[in-house]
Amino acid sequence: MADKEATVYIVDMGRSMGERHHGRPMTDLEWGMQYVWDRITATVATGRKTATIGVVGLRTDGTINDLEEENFSNISVFFGLGQVLMPDIGKLRETIKPSKTNQGDAISSIVIAMQMIIQYTKKNKYKRKIVLVTNGTGVMSDDNIEGIIEKMKEVNIELVIIGADFDDPEYGVKEEDKDSRKAENEKLLRSLAEDCEGVYGTLEQAVSELDIPRIKVTKSMPSFKGNLMLGNPEEYDTAITIPVERYFRTYVAKPISASSFVPRSGTEPGSQAPSGGNNEGDALASVRTSRTYQITDESAPGGKIDVERDDLAKGYEYGRTAVPIEQTDENVANLQTFAGMGLIGFVQKDQYDRYMHMSNANIIIPQRANDNASLALSSLIHALYELESYAVARLVTKETKPPMLVLLAPSIEAEYECLIEIQLPFAEDVRSYRFPPLDKIITVSGKVVTEHRNLPSAALKDAMSNYVDSMNFVTTNDEGEPTNDLPIDESFSPLLHRIESAVRYRAVHPNDPVLDPSERLTEFAHPSEEMVKNSKSDLEKLMSIADVKKVPPKTKGRKRQRETEKPLSGLDVDALLSLEPKRAKISTENAIPEFKQTLSRAENIDVIHDAVQQMGKIIETQITHSLGHSNYDRVIEGLGTMREELVDYEEPMVYNDFVRQLKGKMLREELGGDRRELWWFMRKGKLGLIGKSEVDSSAVEEEEAQEFLAAN
Amino acid sequence: MAEDSYTREEENYEDEELDETSFKSVKDAVLFAIDISSSMLTPRPSPDPKKHGDESPASAALKCAYHLMQQRIISNPHDMIGVLLYGTQSSKFYDENEEDRGDLSYPHCYLYTDLDVPSAQEVKQLRSLASPADADDDVRQVLEPSKEPVSMANMLFCANQIFTSKAPNFSSRRLFVVTDNDNPHADNKGMRSAATVRARDLYDLGVNIELFPISQPDHEFDTSKFYDDIIYKTSPSDGDAPAYLQPDTNMSTAKGDGLSLLNSLLSSINSRSVPRRSLFSNVPLEIGPDFKISVNGYLLLKKQEPARSCFVWQGGETAQIAKGVTTLMSDDTGQEIEKADIRKAYKFGGEQVSFTIEEQQALRNFGDPVIRIIGFKPLSALPIWANVKHPSFIYPSEEDYIGSTRVFSALQQKLLDSEKLALVWFIPRKNASPVLAAMIAGAEKIDENGVQKIPPGMWIIPLPFADDVRQNPESNVNRAGDSLNDAMRDVVRQLQLPKGVYEPSKYPNPSLQWHYRILQAIALDEDFPESPDDKTVPKYRQVHKRAGDYILKWAEELKLQASEMFGGSAATSTLVKRGAKTEATGEHPSKRVKVEDSASGVEEEVKKCYQKGTVSKLTVVVLKEFLNAHGRATAGKKADLVDRVEQYFEQKF
Repeated sequence: MADKEATVYIVDMGRSMGERHHGRPMTDLEWGMQYVWDRITATVATGRKTATIGVVGLRTDGTINDLEEENFSNISVFFGLGQVLMPDIGKLRETIKPSKTNQGDAISSIVIAMQMIIQYTKKNKYKRKIVLVTNGTGVMSDDNIEGIIEKMKEVNIELVIIGADFDDPEYGVKEEDKDSRKAENEKLLRSLAEDCEGVYGTLEQAVSELDIPRIKVTKSMPSFKGNLMLGNPEEYDTAITIPVERYFRTYVAKPISASSFVPRSGTEPGSQAPSGGNNEGDALASVRTSRTYQITDESAPGGKIDVERDDLAKGYEYGRTAVPIEQTDENVANLQTFAGMGLIGFVQKDQYDRYMHMSNANIIIPQRANDNASLALSSLIHALYELESYAVARLVTKETKPPMLVLLAPSIEAEYECLIEIQLPFAEDVRSYRFPPLDKIITVSGKVVTEHRNLPSAALKDAMSNYVDSMNFVTTNDEGEPTNDLPIDESFSPLLHRIESAVRYRAVHPNDPVLDPSERLTEFAHPSEEMVKNSKSDLEKLMSIADVKKVPPKTKGRKRQRETEKPLSGLDVDALLSLEPKRAKISTENAIPEFKQTLSRAENIDVIHDAVQQMGKIIETQITHSLGHSNYDRVIEGLGTMREELVDYEEPMVYNDFVRQLKGKMLREELGGDRRELWWFMRKGKLGLIGKSEVDSSAVEEEEAQEFLAAN
Repeated sequence: MAEDSYTREEENYEDEELDETSFKSVKDAVLFAIDISSSMLTPRPSPDPKKHGDESPASAALKCAYHLMQQRIISNPHDMIGVLLYGTQSSKFYDENEEDRGDLSYPHCYLYTDLDVPSAQEVKQLRSLASPADADDDVRQVLEPSKEPVSMANMLFCANQIFTSKAPNFSSRRLFVVTDNDNPHADNKGMRSAATVRARDLYDLGVNIELFPISQPDHEFDTSKFYDDIIYKTSPSDGDAPAYLQPDTNMSTAKGDGLSLLNSLLSSINSRSVPRRSLFSNVPLEIGPDFKISVNGYLLLKKQEPARSCFVWQGGETAQIAKGVTTLMSDDTGQEIEKADIRKAYKFGGEQVSFTIEEQQALRNFGDPVIRIIGFKPLSALPIWANVKHPSFIYPSEEDYIGSTRVFSALQQKLLDSEKLALVWFIPRKNASPVLAAMIAGAEKIDENGVQKIPPGMWIIPLPFADDVRQNPESNVNRAGDSLNDAMRDVVRQLQLPKGVYEPSKYPNPSLQWHYRILQAIALDEDFPESPDDKTVPKYRQVHKRAGDYILKWAEELKLQASEMFGGSAATSTLVKRGAKTEATGEHPSKRVKVEDSASGVEEEVKKCYQKGTVSKLTVVVLKEFLNAHGRATAGKKADLVDRVEQYFEQKF
């Protein structure tokens, strides 16, 4: 559990906070609230009841506080310590506006905040904090400042003072022509913060750092506690057993997930309450799911009947056979295993391909408080390191869990030793897709060719080499010295942080559009300008030698080379085909090949028209004779082929005419009854009209094509 | 099937392989066409009489088909497979009657297993055909070769009809021809050209013919005699495939004795067991500003999980899978709602913060799909732990940019030669969330049968973001001294895997195999196998034999260093909370090489109690410690723990 928190934000709302200074587009208050809202919403986002917040206004028109003394006038407690919820954010937004006065003492407001914290937290364990945001104008009195400092230290409150245009030589802010009172106030506040061992900073820096995503620190729990074994201790005396624990080393942090809602009945979907979308929560009802079960029954209307969940047994599919498993031997299909990490053998580091890594990384450390285990594991880690080897082990994290094969790599740092553990692929996890070699071409006759348009020339290889060498990604350590690291610590999950900040922003600014991702999140989306500049000449040279040409979109996918449609021997099968007398008409059983072949031999448009007509007949007959959806896949294949071919032959009209008719007939139920499901398949396969974007000569505009597919 | 896609939600899994371009359903159908001639049926003796290796080419082919069928039930549960025998005396094609000889459409073609998702029964039938020695006469009769030659044209058209009717609109349809006859119609020109025409039909239908040639003992299979007229260069269903691979005909003709024939056939069939499906296609690889080539992405490594359990209805003649239908309802009215009405909202401050669908999409949009190089680093900069998931494999495509292949090749070779990686900004598909990734070059790897094992190309390894890196938990470091490390080095040296390489193909996933083995047994009502064939269990005997002495030496050294470092009074550390440490390491009489601080004490104690029958008198702490040390679950009440401990001893003795 995270610590309980009590944080009081003191916001200076004085009249001068409503002014714009130094050419900034926003007032000091708006500027400061960027920081305050970010901090508050970050806390709200945790959803923790024990992360409490209080908000105090300084230099307010009225006075709302328990210390009814003159010193404490123009200070208002707007929100007493507690969990902030959405309605509170809305209320605070309404309340926090510049006042008409400049009266009110910042030091007094700190006293009030202290008072609030002390009352609320009593002697309990809390992280206590006061944040003051001000522009440092107005009157401040240093009466009894020592007492304040002492109390602050005693109750252990962290004091953070952030000021608009406060001088900060370290960050590089210096306000010219500073008002002398402000200068004095700054001096007072700085010494106060420093004496309390708190933080004193300038607003510009605070706001600029809001951009840096904050990383949620997650405490890892062990995912395995057990024995690392070499050999079998149950059978042999010569087995090693080292008690170890396993923790995550990497684990992908997921963005917060959205839940499904529907507008509550009675509210118009899309209507927004005048006060903004933050009240919309009331208008949303959550979504429930319910599950029913159906089986196929040809005799039933619709071919399906509902069955009760209780009449069903648990089971699995084996091919197309359903295999029910009786409750009694439910575990029979699970392999019996016992927890443990058994070493299988060792592999050489330089023989291991890094792309075999299948999972996130874990670490293996010795059992806590077990010196012998840590000594034993240390010798394994060092032996692996010295031999430049990795271990391969079989890991079962809990009894009955399926075994994994893992790679164990040594990791030795100055103060830390562990094994890095990563899952390896099993035989079934490797898919053998084959691809031709990239450095040579083997011809059909088995000849090896090393010069070819698909192979790089020596000049291209040189140019590539120079370019790669000119594009070194430079990383540096804190001292600015170059390091051999990847920028992992500086890279932040773009989606996670973008969604998180969008939610927080929307909570405070319900009517604003969503923002672009912050620069930090997309820092690595492009090479740095400097690198681009440095490698420019090498890139130009590479590009000119490479001579890469973009394929115009129109010719993509078009039948480019008819001559490839020959068998390996190059035999002219088309010539043989034309000799076949019976191929004059397209036959139903061999329709697709014969349709294609007829088109490829067609010498005039009439032949194409005739072929389409024949094919169309076949398709319509298939639809008419289809029992339920039995012929639909064939119909889709036939239609798809027809469409593809006619796009290739640039004859969109013939297809469009046919498909228009077909749609009409289907929807009028002229082809053997209700064929809406088939129409759905046609839409899914995008088998509608051929539009202009596909074939220039088409008379069909894009909108028309889309409308055709959309309409029922 | 059609039903499935109609009702199923269009869920868009990150890793699902898509075919965005086509109206076809992304499924694969494989039909084996196995030549049953007398030469195919002649067993080829193994040169080593002790090895049980007699195998005829036909039975090797059937075994491969059986193997592939079993494998695909696991890996591609919705894909189809069938077996067509040709050149047989008898004929069978759906409900055609054997008696009306004259009217047979496809004489001497025997459709043994219809093209479909296999049923358990069909698996069993194929198994009995693959090992005919154990089968009954009916089965063996099927394998009677015909006296007259079979027409290849007829066989090819038979296959055409099977594909047309059983696997319509599949994106991948493949005919695997296994034969040792390289010139079926040597003396009949008419038959020969009829076959080439039928082969062309298959090509136009989108069926790929893949040949698995077998050389005869005295005759090398020569594809130029006949098959070069039958087989086409590019697969029509894979139009954007790179120039077709050198067909394996020359490289991997199966030959030799029974066993090696079977193995090489298996290896070349395995390499084509799944059709190539891309994960993303024609994504620009941006090498520099304004310099792009196009690549396709594939998943070559993907964790294979057993299919999820489902609900089975047993009320009818055959058991049937019940399909679950989910309806969405509004919580306040209970009315069914349309998907289009659903809005997404985030919980925040006790309420919902909502976005319109367009806003949701805008938030996820970080630009078009791209692999953009932002710089290069030495390969050594990639830490071994910097990994979050399996990699993607990329290979060039000429579809969008002519010249992609040569540029990709130059980059791949450069990265291999200078051991560098490219740092890339990677958006694999529209609206996918971007990652920073390391792109590394991979060299081609060939197995002992000359079949490609790992293709040449590049791999994209997504890196963890700072958000994904966990802090190391505290751990006490006791650095081992040199002599202890030396002793462990001797142990490690003894136990290298062959060639010092991890070879995935040697380790089938034991729980996956067991799962399907049991399902098969239940489906066929057979006895369960006794024990699993688990190749991942370490070879204990070998460890003992090869490294036993070294391990004992290491243990001695450990004892020595431990007593030096922690002394007799190990309790100096405040972390120590268990007492029996010194006993376990220093004075324990057994040779057992344990470094647990207290378990051996517990071990003895529990064992004694078991023998006396007083396990239930032990405390829960002791029971749990004992169970944990033996990899047993430690959840449950005390009675469960006692049961488990007793079970442990019962199994052992």
